[in-house]
Amino acid sequence: MSVTRSIISPPTPTLDAGKALGQPTSMVVRGGPFLFVAGLTAIDPLSGRRERGTAASETVRILANLKDMLEAAGSSLDKVVKVNVLLASMLEAPNVNEVFARTFPSDPPARTTCGVALPDGVKVIIECTALA
Amino acid sequence: MTPRLARSVIQPENPRLNVSRSANLPHVPGIRAGDYIFLSGMGPIDPETGDRVHGPIAEQVRLTLGNMAHMLHSAGSSMDRVLRVHVVLADLADVPEMDRVYRGFFPVDPPARTVWSMQLRFGNGCEIECVALAGDAGQPA
Repeated sequence: MSVTRSIISPPTPTLDAGKALGQPTSMVVRGGPFLFVAGLTAIDPLSGRRERGTAASETVRILANLKDMLEAAGSSLDKVVKVNVLLASMLEAPNVNEVFARTFPSDPPARTTCGVALPDGVKVIIECTALA
Repeated sequence: MTPRLARSVIQPENPRLNVSRSANLPHVPGIRAGDYIFLSGMGPIDPETGDRVHGPIAEQVRLTLGNMAHMLHSAGSSMDRVLRVHVVLADLADVPEMDRVYRGFFPVDPPARTVWSMQLRFGNGCEIECVALAGDAGQPA
């Protein structure tokens, strides 16, 4: 029996940044036992618009939205296996790490963090792979 | 005891797209392991000549995604089985043009994507990699 691919819609349309911002991406794609989550930016779940702040506040928002998206897909933060964090400034890494330590208090996922140029003036993009 | 997954190397049917080999780089174009295909980052190579193509980003992205489709077909998979894509651009200003071309390759239920900009090698304007589900047909020949 072949393994299937399916798109998992976020719990509210406002969290579907692909559709809300007109970008050609799904937010969560299931392939076999894994969920592949697109690079997430800080989105206000009430309006669907970008929520601009500090790197730390953007990280708080991204991880809160991620939690809701994973739980709606039948998964959870403690099923995240690998995270990629992209920062507009690596100087913010300690601030972002504080948020991560609170969000993943024990056995956090594997992670790579890079300082790169990010689109649209966002300070943080976080993508992850999780068990479904 | 769980059987260990086999790991096999993916080569493009068009050898001009095998940059790992032609540039003598320490990687292979892709690896299949069980149900998953992991492709190395691909760049703007002309499939007729094997030359790198620079210039307008739209053409670079079109070539790169076309080559990625070929690589997936060579592995018994296809673009509609792609799960995750990383699009890296040398210049952030190229995002809108990249998006325009990208949409055409993933018109429905696109994969999960992350886009960013950083230094790329060989003067390439883009580098694109993906994770995909293997095809239904079992292990390719």
